[in-house]
Amino acid sequence: MFESHLLSLITLAPAVAAIGLGLIPGRYERLVRWLAFGISLGIFFTSLLMWMVFDPSMGGMQMVEKADWIPQFGIEFHLGVDGISLLLVLLTTLLVPVVIAASWTSVRDKVKAFHICLLLLTTGMVGAFLALDVFLFYVFWEFILIPMYFIIGVWGGARRIYAAVKFFIFTMAGSVLMLVAILYTARVHFETTGIWSFDYFVWLETASQIPMGGVWSPQMLVFIAFALAFAIKVPMFPFHTWLPDAHVEAPTGGSIILAGVLLKLGTYGFLRFNRALFPEAWEKAVPVIMVLAVIGIVYGAFVALVQPDIKKLVAYSSVSHLGFVMLGLAAGTISSTQGAILQMVNHGLATGALFLLIGILYERRGTLLIADYGGIATVVPVLTGFFLLVTLASIGLPGLNGFVGEFLILAGSWPVAPAAVVGAGLGVVLGAVTMLWMVQRVFWNPLSHEENRGLRDMNFREVATVLPLVLFIVWIGVFPMTFLAPMEAAVRLLLE
Amino acid sequence: MPLEQFVPFIPEIFLAIASFVLLVGGIGLGRRGMRPLALGAVGSLVVTGILVWLFGRPAGEPEVILGGMLAIDTFAVFFKLLVLASAILTIMLATGFLERFRYGGGEFFALILTATLGMFVMASGVNLVSLYVGLELMALSSYVLVGYCKLEVKSNEGAVKYFVLGAMSSGILLYGISLVYGSLGTLDLMEIKTALVAAPQDNLVLMLGIVLMAFGMLFKVAAVPFHVWSPDAYEGAPTPVTAFISVAPKAAAFAMFLRIFAGAFSPEIDHWRSVIWLAAAMTMIFGNIAALSQDNVKRMLAYSSIAHAGYALMGVVAGTAYGTWSVLMYMLVYTFMNIGAFGLVVLLETRGYAGETVKDWAGLSKKAPAAAAGMLILLLALAGIPPTGGFMSKLYVFAAAINAGYIWLAVIGVLMSAVSLYYYFRIVVQMYLVEGEEAESGAELVRDRWAEGVVLVSVLVVMAIGVYPAPFVGWAQGGLNALGLM
Amino acid sequence: MITATHYLALSLVMFTLGLIGVMVRRNFITVLMSLELIFNAVNLNLIAFSFRLGDLSGQILAIFVITVAAAEAAIGLGLIIALTRLKDTVILDDANEMRS
Repeated sequence: MFESHLLSLITLAPAVAAIGLGLIPGRYERLVRWLAFGISLGIFFTSLLMWMVFDPSMGGMQMVEKADWIPQFGIEFHLGVDGISLLLVLLTTLLVPVVIAASWTSVRDKVKAFHICLLLLTTGMVGAFLALDVFLFYVFWEFILIPMYFIIGVWGGARRIYAAVKFFIFTMAGSVLMLVAILYTARVHFETTGIWSFDYFVWLETASQIPMGGVWSPQMLVFIAFALAFAIKVPMFPFHTWLPDAHVEAPTGGSIILAGVLLKLGTYGFLRFNRALFPEAWEKAVPVIMVLAVIGIVYGAFVALVQPDIKKLVAYSSVSHLGFVMLGLAAGTISSTQGAILQMVNHGLATGALFLLIGILYERRGTLLIADYGGIATVVPVLTGFFLLVTLASIGLPGLNGFVGEFLILAGSWPVAPAAVVGAGLGVVLGAVTMLWMVQRVFWNPLSHEENRGLRDMNFREVATVLPLVLFIVWIGVFPMTFLAPMEAAVRLLLE
Repeated sequence: MPLEQFVPFIPEIFLAIASFVLLVGGIGLGRRGMRPLALGAVGSLVVTGILVWLFGRPAGEPEVILGGMLAIDTFAVFFKLLVLASAILTIMLATGFLERFRYGGGEFFALILTATLGMFVMASGVNLVSLYVGLELMALSSYVLVGYCKLEVKSNEGAVKYFVLGAMSSGILLYGISLVYGSLGTLDLMEIKTALVAAPQDNLVLMLGIVLMAFGMLFKVAAVPFHVWSPDAYEGAPTPVTAFISVAPKAAAFAMFLRIFAGAFSPEIDHWRSVIWLAAAMTMIFGNIAALSQDNVKRMLAYSSIAHAGYALMGVVAGTAYGTWSVLMYMLVYTFMNIGAFGLVVLLETRGYAGETVKDWAGLSKKAPAAAAGMLILLLALAGIPPTGGFMSKLYVFAAAINAGYIWLAVIGVLMSAVSLYYYFRIVVQMYLVEGEEAESGAELVRDRWAEGVVLVSVLVVMAIGVYPAPFVGWAQGGLNALGLM
Repeated sequence: MITATHYLALSLVMFTLGLIGVMVRRNFITVLMSLELIFNAVNLNLIAFSFRLGDLSGQILAIFVITVAAAEAAIGLGLIIALTRLKDTVILDDANEMRS
């Protein structure tokens, strides 16, 4: 009984909790924080339970739930989990309590509203990963925008309104065309069978029946409409311009969620919808995606190199890292795809942790400019240690998680596209240089600013916040099979 | 004519009597009688609703009464109940408003009731004579309602413009009717359809007649390029009236539109479809683009409701059963979201025309979190974002258009709804995101229990449709059981 | 011999004149007269067709149109009287408070 509704519990409980939180008077800030933290932790443990129940040997969807939603259109509340969405849901539910803990002192205004937004966001993200009805997926996908808009717009930095509006308009503009594509595909299904359906499994058959031909053929256009929505979210070059603005202005918690989960929705969408529904169109698009991915990798790393602002630097390096993921997906071999999925998780953990640590620095010093720091390694040794570890994970040092993902992607892509791998390899080196140079300028170099001498090191809460992320970073680096095993069957099924 | 034929007409008779009683009562009681009169008006509208449910529903198959003038079918019942709901909400909005601005209530309520009566006839008319009379009853009442604040120049000006262009559009519609009558020899919608099915024609007089009728109807739903009256009328009118004329007459006009075009003229669909297609596309594009630059919230919402008429027109263009019920669904959601949004404008209208510029919304989330949250939901619905009813209603018209092969129209529609986000969110930005002095400068909310109730009801309905649309879709589809349609 | 076509042509002329009048004239009284012109063009059409077709419904509609046009004129005059009291003008452009 419990198991059969596990997925809808994970999906809907945060939204219900958010409504409940709304009923508590806003002045009980501590109560709100603890409640939200407890709820998010509970959801994380529930998703761990889901992991335990999950059968890694099966490639198909598990724990499937189905209920009528809009029967007149054949739209269902249809959830299910496979090895791919399992990891991403785990990542999401892990990051939410981390974000709440990280915002414990940095979010002081409208505390209740912040946590309501965060819990609503959780529902949207988990729902989007688990939805097996394409329409339901779209609803969750759109719904995410609202709480994220407020998180950036209300608790963000100085230019937050501009960043929030830009984020909203960009992602919305991309996804409205996806709605047309969804409705068009549904129509094709209706015309051939006389039944309305938005069921993912049904669509695996339907989508390939859309007439296919040149670039302007219906299937290609539908494919492009989907791809555009996801490419903006990823964000792929040249649709990335909203990301640095959003990251710089968002509060720490917002940045963690944005980098950790929202960007993965884009890559997940590519894999789950573009790749699986339209294999023929995908084949045609692979060269374009690969070229854009490699451009993204190199361009992101180059632009990051010259950023004076730590957050912006990490934001551009995200563009670069997500390029790797796209490269792995485009190459389309089993190991490159597995690497891409693992790299999504890795990026979520490492970049999430980076933003967390940057937030801690910002809270103490009130600036994000690299030039305002320097030589603080002796002042804040614990912070420095964590920062270095996370940076190394992010640039792919063997023994940490980033290495496994990047290695699988590059090795898996080599037989398919050696030229792209060479380009991406250049990006790896460049990215490493960028990040290490930043760390050097921030933590080493001479201590030139007197006000940095009095910086406080991380306290217990902050260490406890980072620790779970670091734990997973090391775990994936040392025993990647724990995470690769459950997804293998699913990836195999999806690619064949 | 047997007397039983009048039984389904009881709601209309009751409505007519009630409006006279209110008119006389208003003269007798003066301004002191505001609340009793308002209660009387709401009460009689509720009674009318019950009467519609008791007597106005078809027993099974649709039937015609009064010499083929009116149809008794679920299509009419759907629109009658919708119009009643918007009339009730309008009166609840207007009571406090009229008290604050020191206007009498009797004539106001009586006019709302006569307009409602006119729309009843529009919803159920199946003869061009009855449709025209219903349309004029509605239109004449609303001209006076727009000019109700007779000491405000804006109100007068809006009324005069509304009157001139409204009368002109009636003239165009009538001229079209006369040409159609001349070539087919009948004013009965069923007979028109039969004649057209029997002998599809493309003689010039008939075509001109159909096109002129389309122009007239496009005027009534404020579609581009026949929209010029609506921003001025909406801005000038007392805000509760703006709420009313932006929803109820539009819904009734769409009912009439569907009866005439999707019904009687459906055999000639290839001839009129392109006109409506063009109007729908231009309406969506122009309405949304023009709304971008408006600082006056009433005017912004006026342009937004022009744009919404464009979305609903997509359902008419589709010309299928899907298209028809998607229009019904659209009107259902649109009615509540628009009245709710105007309801909040009414609540903010404390000093003269304050509450009307975008800046007046600054910092509302601090001063009145519940009202701000309500406005947020209504704006999200207007922009068509899940999980609100606005998303669901847009979905169905887009689906209908795509299903009929009008994919580019749907593409225009979704792109324009992305554009619309920008201006709706200007209000959200003011309510939630601005801080400090700027946030302090906003207007205060007035206390008005009835108007707050209207907003609450609208928000609840819009959310209910968004979260669980199935029963509402069922009702809208039930409305397809209509005489002369499909 | 006067045929239906003649009536049609006359009504078309009246209709066009009426439309042009509503759109270009700025004096409200003239606009009201132009509106009457449109309605009477319609009536002429309806009666001519009714006569030719030997069907009464056109004439019935014409009677309704005459009645409604009277009500319309009454309301129009009422509105312009209210406006004249505030602004002392019957010229529509002089009453332009709102940007359009």
